Amino acid sequence: MIELGSLALQLALLTAIYGIVVVLVGAARQRSEMVRSGRHAAYAVHGLVVLAAVALWRALLTHDFSLEYVASYASSTLALPYTIAAFWGGQAGSLLFWVLILMTMSSIAHLQNRERNAALMPYVTATLLVIAAFFLSLLVFITDPFERLPVPAIEGADLNPLLQNYWMMIHPPSLYLGFVGCAIPFAFAMAALASGRLSDVWIRTTRRWTLFAWFFLTVGNVLGARWAYEELGWGGYWAWDPVENAAIMPWFTCTAFLHSVMIQEKKNMLKMWNMVLVLLTFTLTIFGTFLTRSGIVSSVHSFTQSGLGPFFVGFLVMVIVTCIALIAWRRPLLRSENDIDSFLSREGAFLFNNLLLVGLAFATFWGTIFPVLSEAVRGIKITVGPPFFNKVNAPLGLALLFMTGVGPVIAWRRASARNLRRSFLWPLTLGFATGVVIFALGYRHYYAVVCFSLATFVLTTIAMEFYRGTRARQSLMHESPAMALANLVGKNRRRYGGYVVHIGIVMIAVGMAASSAFRVEVQETIERGQSFEAGPYTLTYTDLKNTDSPHVASMLAEVQVTRNGRPVTTLYPEKRFYKRQQQPTTEVALRSTLLDDLYVVLGNYDAESGLVTLLVFVSPLVAWLWIGALVMALGTVIVMSPTAAEQRVLAAALAVEERGLEGAARVVR
Amino acid sequence: MRTLRIAGYIRSVDRNRRFVIGASIIIVAVAYLVYTGIRETSVYYFTIDEFLAERASMVEEEVRVAGRVGADSVDWDSRTLDLHFELAEFDGAESVPVAYNGILPDMFAEGRDVIVEGSFTGGTLEAHTLLTSCPSKYEAEIPES
Repeated sequence: MIELGSLALQLALLTAIYGIVVVLVGAARQRSEMVRSGRHAAYAVHGLVVLAAVALWRALLTHDFSLEYVASYASSTLALPYTIAAFWGGQAGSLLFWVLILMTMSSIAHLQNRERNAALMPYVTATLLVIAAFFLSLLVFITDPFERLPVPAIEGADLNPLLQNYWMMIHPPSLYLGFVGCAIPFAFAMAALASGRLSDVWIRTTRRWTLFAWFFLTVGNVLGARWAYEELGWGGYWAWDPVENAAIMPWFTCTAFLHSVMIQEKKNMLKMWNMVLVLLTFTLTIFGTFLTRSGIVSSVHSFTQSGLGPFFVGFLVMVIVTCIALIAWRRPLLRSENDIDSFLSREGAFLFNNLLLVGLAFATFWGTIFPVLSEAVRGIKITVGPPFFNKVNAPLGLALLFMTGVGPVIAWRRASARNLRRSFLWPLTLGFATGVVIFALGYRHYYAVVCFSLATFVLTTIAMEFYRGTRARQSLMHESPAMALANLVGKNRRRYGGYVVHIGIVMIAVGMAASSAFRVEVQETIERGQSFEAGPYTLTYTDLKNTDSPHVASMLAEVQVTRNGRPVTTLYPEKRFYKRQQQPTTEVALRSTLLDDLYVVLGNYDAESGLVTLLVFVSPLVAWLWIGALVMALGTVIVMSPTAAEQRVLAAALAVEERGLEGAARVVR
Repeated sequence: MRTLRIAGYIRSVDRNRRFVIGASIIIVAVAYLVYTGIRETSVYYFTIDEFLAERASMVEEEVRVAGRVGADSVDWDSRTLDLHFELAEFDGAESVPVAYNGILPDMFAEGRDVIVEGSFTGGTLEAHTLLTSCPSKYEAEIPES
């Protein structure tokens, strides 16, 4: 089975190369049977990759410790879910996982477009197979998941304890789906450039793919934050670590892309810009994959330093050069068909939103690679930490929050004084009032005050949209309020789903502002029976207990929590000791409410005297981060759910393309 | 007809210019934030060997140093949470004393690789942050068979 997996990868690489050649020659010579053969090659690569993945999973589940990968990331006592997840716990496996997802998506995209987009599909096939061939060659030549140990190990080293929790099951796959999902719009963009079909068909065809990728990027980032929050024990959820930055940068550019394509769909503008954004997003996903594996920047997440770096750099350079050449070649076709009339217009607002998002991505990128640059230029390594990112990204983020309120409601082309008054008088008034009230209550953290003001502003614009839309339906269609609201959302899913996503964004912004500005941190070293205060809570340390199992031993402190003399809960912060890896890990005790989170860490203990050090954080409103993420996910699902009207528009756009094709063919004849 | 077209052209250049200005404001703002951010928050990042070579010029500077916890050098008071240890070169030859107060990271131990962030008094590194870096974090050692 192992040999079969190894062979499958080699065959997959050869098939991918065959597919690239045959499909490109077929497209150039208009030979449909060659194009078809290329498509079949893509399906075959998918099948072979699945075979390799099954072989690796089988080796993990049967504890085949003769395999280096299995011996490094699994053990005979590792629980079943983590044994499955060990597939993506190490470098080689995670790269195989990448290709597995890519080829699955490739097959779905090919099936969806069997009967349409005939001009685009050859290049889509070629692009996807080039990406697959790159990852497959890494797996075949550099980091082989099926490498045997010289002497089989009798026991595995086990999965890293930090990875042994349920987040490991969902966070990496989610992020991978987001990362790899960006390859599909990218492939269609390349196809549009290569074939010269630069109308909005490629954008309409991939809209749902882009949303799908964006959905999982969002979810993956939030799950990562949640994982860090629960596991790492420092009370925060985002540390601007290079690997976190690698995951958030494509999110920024993908968000920009989602917004700017609306302008292309409606106004036929920003075609060039959209190309740049889709290229940037895809490049950033590859860059992110590279960053986590090359060891060029120091990070708590990094995989081992490996020889992969140069290959990734080479691939990135190839992708960027190809894209720039294609864009330069097609420049005449990418010209805008309309101008922007005024700053105060939806087009203007979307453009600024895009600039801010790309600005965020740029600042994050710059801070991430600054140590590398400074060493190359000045010969001395200078690094920037969270203060840099907070200082730069907080004002940009607040500006973006403001645009979240402006963009969806300002008029197209040129907003009149009447439109501005109608849309923004109430939101601005209420937003400003919120700021004044919070300030008067004595809060002096300016970013947080501004953030709360803006949150009220945005929520008011959205509430007014829902209210006006519902009222209009009520009077026009004579529907009940609930019915009118449901129909309003159901019949305009993109618009109102988008508002729901924005509500989620506002919740997250509020959660982040409150929890970073008003977090209380207390650290106490105490004996049994002693108590101390943290924010509104009183914590009493009552006992120290230990538990033991073959896989893990742990020490728990019993902490009773009261508030104003009334008992609230009992928490058990814990230190675990994973026996195989001989490593202690911290298990946080958490009590979460909508108002605040009480977060208790057992920092240190002395088993004999019972002396413990407890580290306690009280973070207000942090729960809204996770709730906001759920709301965003819900909104994205609404936006993604297909409507008949949208299918008609896509069909019409495709029909126009086909007619254009026939016309062109007649001229040639 | 001709004048109209010219007027239209001028108007469109005008519009473009307005947008170039608008976009430039954002770009300049981002550049300014990045520039000042780097100036105010950047920290020298050394490996222990580099730091030992440069230490004379690093007095009172904020530094980040990667090294190894020296053998038999850890002095830890679990009551006051005061920690003293030697941050040593990877071959263990030379070292610099580090003082830190706080909870020990889970992976902290003698012989482990750590990153220390703090200011250098001239004799001691007064650390405010102690990170355990483990380049082999996800690549565990395989037990001997």
